[in-house]
Amino acid sequence: MKNHKYLFVFCMLLAIAMAGGIFTRIYVSLEEKQEKNEKLHVVTSFYPVYIAALNVAGESPNVELENLSEPQTGCMHDYQLTPQDLILLSGADLFLVNGGGIENFLTEVSESYPELAVCQASEGVELLEDNAHVWMDTTLYAQMVKNIAEAFCTADPAGAEVYQANAEHYCRQIQNLTDQLENLKAAAAGTSVVIFHEAYAYLAKELGMETAYCLDLDEERQVSAGEIADMMGEISKNHVSLVFAEELYGKDMGDTVEAETKARVCYLNTLVRGDYEAGSYLTAVQQNIDLLEQALEK
Amino acid sequence: MEWFSWLHYDFMKYAFLAILIITPLFGLMGTMVVNRKMAFFSDALGHSALTGIAVGVVLGVSNTNVSMAVFAVIFALLLNQISSRVAASTDTVISVFSSFSIAIGLAILSKGGNFSRYSSILVGDILSITPEEIWYLAVIFAITLFFWTLCFNKLLAVSLNRTLARSCHIPAAWMENLFAVLTALIVMVSIKWVGILIINALLILPAAASRNMSANMREYHFFSIVFSVFSGILGLVISYYVNVATGPAIVILASMIYFITYWWGRRYNI
Repeated sequence: MKNHKYLFVFCMLLAIAMAGGIFTRIYVSLEEKQEKNEKLHVVTSFYPVYIAALNVAGESPNVELENLSEPQTGCMHDYQLTPQDLILLSGADLFLVNGGGIENFLTEVSESYPELAVCQASEGVELLEDNAHVWMDTTLYAQMVKNIAEAFCTADPAGAEVYQANAEHYCRQIQNLTDQLENLKAAAAGTSVVIFHEAYAYLAKELGMETAYCLDLDEERQVSAGEIADMMGEISKNHVSLVFAEELYGKDMGDTVEAETKARVCYLNTLVRGDYEAGSYLTAVQQNIDLLEQALEK
Repeated sequence: MEWFSWLHYDFMKYAFLAILIITPLFGLMGTMVVNRKMAFFSDALGHSALTGIAVGVVLGVSNTNVSMAVFAVIFALLLNQISSRVAASTDTVISVFSSFSIAIGLAILSKGGNFSRYSSILVGDILSITPEEIWYLAVIFAITLFFWTLCFNKLLAVSLNRTLARSCHIPAAWMENLFAVLTALIVMVSIKWVGILIINALLILPAAASRNMSANMREYHFFSIVFSVFSGILGLVISYYVNVATGPAIVILASMIYFITYWWGRRYNI
């Protein structure tokens, strides 16, 4: 009986190890990428940077672009690097980040890979205090695109012309949006707005609006009753008629605000998540502009 | 795919070392935790880590490991004292303490809406293992082995029958307190990479599975340690290739072992 038991335990552990091994093997072979080649391997930190880099790289066959986080991850404030991320970075030639403190794991990365070229896309861009959601401002976003193009050119001088041409083409499209926002400015400038996400501060600034209160409703954020009361107080004190919120996290709060005050809530895209289409930044901003137009007309 | 490519990375080497040291300890301590029906107690201990970190943040301690360990030891001793004195049953008292300490921890850490910064401690982060942490583990390992060889028989006697043990001049309260403190320390040094939500499973599952199989104390220890080390190493490797958090991978394997041994135990070991 006793020998039986040890044999059984041995077989059980062996079976589990085999099952685990086979499962892992299948998983890895599904994930396995093509052979590494001479391409320029670029890794971006999160969505807006990825889209900008995607446009700069364009159709170029020499660039392999990958994003560290999933397209739906959202803001990276509290992102934890996974072992898989470190492996991805170990094969990269260039690491593009937003900068301004959003990627707080950067020191960890530069400790592990001192030779990896890191480019902060928001470098030289005028940031708001403690707020690096630069891409919300189309003018600043265009600057980011230029910075990214520079980084591409330094990393791969042979393709410089292509990258610069792509960046210029993309910047022209962005300029079109900037012009539309400029038109909205007439109606918007000078009014007060309450925002439910730090990112909208850039949009408010671009429209010349005054940010009366910022209630940061983020991915894992819980608000206290006192903060809500504060925010409501600011709305009535400053006669705020417009609130910018994110549909995903601000809907409940938005409904409350609309029920309790006279302010209208405008649900805009923060552009931190979306699909991996080259044009998705442009369409998302366009949608934001359309929504703003409607909201300001009323 | 190479089966040993994970050893190229420093963080994986550290993690591997940490697992080699800590899983036998979990197996060892688990046997007694299961014997003494202390599963809920160790669960509450794990939760108190949150409060320990919060207290450290409030006091401005730079190394929250220290505040965590100190708080956990105090918490464990307090729980031991109070649960032997009040009229309500032990699990009620533990539940009260556990929820109170979680509430304090959450209240402090969520101040200003920054809780997400600490959310990694809920699921664990294997990159948090540093060479320094491995030294902590090694020290705890030595202390535990020392305690186990010297005091195991006495501890067992206390857990079987407290009155009988005291009549043999065994300091029952001392034994219980020492055991609680050791459990607290082991939980605290490994909680950052295992995660609060599942650390208890690591302590309970190998021993519980082993109990299904074993006929005596020696076998009970042996199987518990084997299961614990096995699921630890295999979990680490799988989590590396499949890109999931390590703690949960280990617990899933340990649970599988438990289910299989449960079936075996029902059939042959009753």
